[in-house]
Amino acid sequence: MAVSFPKCPSSSLPPLQTRNRAWSSPLSAPHQVGDSSKWALLEATKRCHLSVSSATNGGSAVAPVEPSKKVQDSGTKTTPTDHSTKVENGIRPTVFSSNEFQDLKTGPDNSGRESTVSITVVGASGDLAKKKIFPALFALYYEGFLPKHFTIFGYARSKMTDAELREMVSRTLNCRIDQRENCDAKMEEFLKRCFYHSGQYDSEAHFVELDKKLKQHEGSRISNRLYYLSIPPNIFLDVVKCTSLAASSENGWTRVIVEKPFGRDAESSAALTRGLKQYLHEDQIFRIDHYLGKELVENLSVLRFSNLVFEPLWSRQYIRNVQIIFSEDFGTEGRGGYFDSYGIIRDIMQNHLLQIVALFAMETPTSLEAEDIRNEKVKVLRSMKTLEIDDVVIGQYKSHTRGGVVYPGYTDDKTVPNDSLTPTFAAAALFINNARWDGVPFLMKAGKALHTKRAEIRVQFRHVPGNLYKKCFGTDLDRATNELVIRVQPDEAIYLKINNKIPGLGMRLDRSNLNLHYAARYSKEIPCAYERLLLDAIEGERRLFIRSDELDAAWALFTPLLKELEEKHIAPELYPYGSRGPVGAHYLAAKYNVRWGDLGAEH
Amino acid sequence: MTILRFYQRPSSLSIAFSSRHERSFSGSSELVTLTTRRNQCWRFSPLKSSNGSPLAGASWKDDGKEMPVPKVPDIGSQLAENTVSITVVGASGDLAKKKIFPALFALYYEGYLPQHFTVFGYARSKLTDEELRHTISTTLTCRVDKRENCSDKMEQFLRRCFYHSGQYGSEVDFCELDNKLKEKEDGKLANRLFYLSIPPNIFVDVVRGASRSASSPNGWTRFIVEKPFGRDSESSSELTRCLKMYLIEEQIFRIDHYLGKELVENLSVLRFANLVFEPLWSRNYIRNVQLIFSEDFGTEGRGGYFDHYGIIRDIMQNHLLQILALFAMETPVSLDGEDIRNEKVKVLRSMRVLKLDDVVVGQYKGHTKGGKSFPAYTDDPTVPKGSLTPTFAAASLFIDNARWDGVPFLMKAGKALHRRGAEIRVQFRHVPGNLYKRKFGTDLDKATNELVIRVQPNEAIYLKINNKVPGLSMRLDSSNLNLLYSERYPREIPDAYERLLLDAIEGERRLFIRSDELDAAWAIFSPLLRELEEKKVVPELYPYGSRGPVGAHYLAAKYNVRWGDLSDSS
Repeated sequence: MAVSFPKCPSSSLPPLQTRNRAWSSPLSAPHQVGDSSKWALLEATKRCHLSVSSATNGGSAVAPVEPSKKVQDSGTKTTPTDHSTKVENGIRPTVFSSNEFQDLKTGPDNSGRESTVSITVVGASGDLAKKKIFPALFALYYEGFLPKHFTIFGYARSKMTDAELREMVSRTLNCRIDQRENCDAKMEEFLKRCFYHSGQYDSEAHFVELDKKLKQHEGSRISNRLYYLSIPPNIFLDVVKCTSLAASSENGWTRVIVEKPFGRDAESSAALTRGLKQYLHEDQIFRIDHYLGKELVENLSVLRFSNLVFEPLWSRQYIRNVQIIFSEDFGTEGRGGYFDSYGIIRDIMQNHLLQIVALFAMETPTSLEAEDIRNEKVKVLRSMKTLEIDDVVIGQYKSHTRGGVVYPGYTDDKTVPNDSLTPTFAAAALFINNARWDGVPFLMKAGKALHTKRAEIRVQFRHVPGNLYKKCFGTDLDRATNELVIRVQPDEAIYLKINNKIPGLGMRLDRSNLNLHYAARYSKEIPCAYERLLLDAIEGERRLFIRSDELDAAWALFTPLLKELEEKHIAPELYPYGSRGPVGAHYLAAKYNVRWGDLGAEH
Repeated sequence: MTILRFYQRPSSLSIAFSSRHERSFSGSSELVTLTTRRNQCWRFSPLKSSNGSPLAGASWKDDGKEMPVPKVPDIGSQLAENTVSITVVGASGDLAKKKIFPALFALYYEGYLPQHFTVFGYARSKLTDEELRHTISTTLTCRVDKRENCSDKMEQFLRRCFYHSGQYGSEVDFCELDNKLKEKEDGKLANRLFYLSIPPNIFVDVVRGASRSASSPNGWTRFIVEKPFGRDSESSSELTRCLKMYLIEEQIFRIDHYLGKELVENLSVLRFANLVFEPLWSRNYIRNVQLIFSEDFGTEGRGGYFDHYGIIRDIMQNHLLQILALFAMETPVSLDGEDIRNEKVKVLRSMRVLKLDDVVVGQYKGHTKGGKSFPAYTDDPTVPKGSLTPTFAAASLFIDNARWDGVPFLMKAGKALHRRGAEIRVQFRHVPGNLYKRKFGTDLDKATNELVIRVQPNEAIYLKINNKVPGLSMRLDSSNLNLLYSERYPREIPDAYERLLLDAIEGERRLFIRSDELDAAWAIFSPLLRELEEKKVVPELYPYGSRGPVGAHYLAAKYNVRWGDLSDSS
């Protein structure tokens, strides 16, 4: 029976904290937040119990397509994948098999073998790896979230020595602003665990070499392996094939993190999934959507399900519309090659924004366990109305001169074809045809080269029926409704707009905010989404990763529209670089009696 | 019919209409500002005219004489200028000096008073106009945020202030006052407001004198009275009966200055202008409501009056109960004064009569802290040594109606406590089937949402929500969705007396207590008060500056409530 971390960290070890630690302890009352050192220790101990997992499969809805020989080869004697989901969701298994009990006992006293995790970043010389993945790994290490023994490998085609990789990685590492102690020392230790292996992405032989090197570092420990595929999608399958055939862990788990794009439409996505499943079980595939790792997206479920004051409001009865808004204040800036073949709808809407909608709108899950949450998300996606072209507005930015500075148009980008019709902006109205949300427009808006950088969720409530203060609001009651804003970035915040009397004699009303500004309340730096997701992948927590059926359902909503846009060569509405986007978005909103919350006089 | 005649009917209706008129037609610029600024909402509202639609039993006119009331005033004719004369009876008293004159000046300063007005001080002491002006001038201040012309304005204001010395029971003296008032009013349409800042035992004398000899001949005459309105149901209804011998209901303005506080005013706005609150406002979602008042000082040598009444009469039966009624009332038909008061009376009448078991009384004792000793209540020389008068009380009340059945409304009021403040706390139920329950330990009730409306000091509204602590783990934290008034509204918040005086001048009765409200309020408390006195129930002693008697916790525990203000994260 394999265990994800059979070795219990003793007090001298960096505390191995699970995100679910508060669950495991009766001491988890919120007021105990401050005492972190005691916590870490306590939790490290708890973790021993929890790391032993239930033998039952975490409930993966999709059985391996082919429980083939290959899988068994790569998985070796133990089931490589199935063991950790339940426990790491914080749900203590109610029934332990005798074997599990064995593990429970042996784990803490260290009689089992130590485990290690080897993280291989495939495509290590790429931008994402340098800017996000290595720094996130370092941050996890720095904060004591990685197991005691770990190895990091960079894998790419370029010839590089370990030292060169370290040099490259070191340039992007930095320490948390709030705990700068020992930063250099920590960095050095971290870099010592980083190695490089050069190889072709489709060469099994090269991966065999990697496997040897990994084994050397892993020693006799139980080895768990995580592959981060930071590579173009066309070579996903090659790499997956090689890793699973030649470099899977023999006695621990092997997991693969893949990043978008997951295909271009329903068919190509299904083909990719089919391909991956030739070599991997569902539970080995970790499809990352880094928006799900954002602090406030994580907090969305907490807000909904642990506050009585929100849940009663969470339906068509009180919510008039929901807006999910993403904007960037820069364009493709000479790197539009990849973007041009996907466009904003595939790049942002079909994944990030749709995932947020699903989380926002899902029914209460049976538990916080990953499979339960993903089951609910799939239900939302499958209840949604397929997007039609009438409910979409697309745009593309054009050049704009302001204050003597010329901002280029999208097609001015050298990596973009001159006649490209790829949308850099899109707004869409979606509907969820279920009992809770029937008739409530979910408006999405995503764009590049807009006037601000922002991601937020806006919930506009209905107006007060029979409002006594109607005369104070002018004619349009909808303009004075409550609004809940969850600002995902930048400047994380939650605020609820309420109507309030302006202090003073007389009765004038005003919309003011009940505010929770994260920077003011929480001085700690908010971790980058990649940290959370990497940690989750290491811990086997699948809540924030996208399951195959979720992906299928998501594509099913967008594919007909995407096809139609391409087949009919629909020309996007042009909007100036740095503007508020095409006005078409307003008309789309007006069609459903909505007013964009981010473009009003007050935000 | 001329507008002049219309104004001669001193009914509240005329006020509502007159404001509108002046806004549209009058040449008086100050009045224009007045009505538009103040009445963005109220006056434009046709709902307002329901003031003129008399409720059953209410008279049309303040003076009780029959006169036809035109529904539509003749807007074409000329307006007579009107004036208001405010007579502060008991002008040499503390309240007058500290609150009433400064509030009048603030109203003047901000342009809320009519262009022509007269302020009279009336008391027994012999003072000249100059002496009165001098006394007043020491307490006047200008708004921090608009200090311009402060001394000019003060001088102008003081020039309108006069003094008349007389006995409170003498009709002759009030006749003289009437002559002086007439002189100042100078033939204008005269409206008269008497502010009775005097001990309750002479209320009726003054009302008789003033109403018989110094009522306005052609405008309205109104009387503002302050608590105490009796000591129990009987004495209160006796007072009401006596007042009504000389006044009709609509002339009586019973002030409860807590109702003039900004956040109490805002309570109805919060409830009725926000969709997110109204669905929660019932026993389905609210576990309990707490109304908390505390002062961090004792009677400090002025316990004579207090000892006769005690904290329950002084704070609970009026201020806290009024807030409770506003909090718990059903949605009124309109924002009109009568409609709101109708709903408040319904709440009060649905309330269970308070029993001794549901009350804890306390009295502060001496305490030495950091070398400094703080006196006990009975150390106050104005308080009898053996006094059993409570300086602290906690009570749990219940409203037996469909909305609030079973929800405890806890009240707590005390003197000489560790802090000063007044707040409303609404504790919500716990989340049924909470997915995050493991995070909260065993007591889910400790992690519920709570809405706090802090009336004073530092006006604020905040909603405690559960939130994920940012970071890689899943730890929950109770944090606040905040609205701090001082941050959002840098302007100074007007004193409650300003609002109430202005309302009385404008005939807006929403924040004043109607006779039937008062009766209903006393009915809840009288049996308890009698029992306390008859049984000579001994208050639990608590040290000066402490958190009050622990008995309050046991009372709360009885109803499965935890005081929100005494927990760690309040």
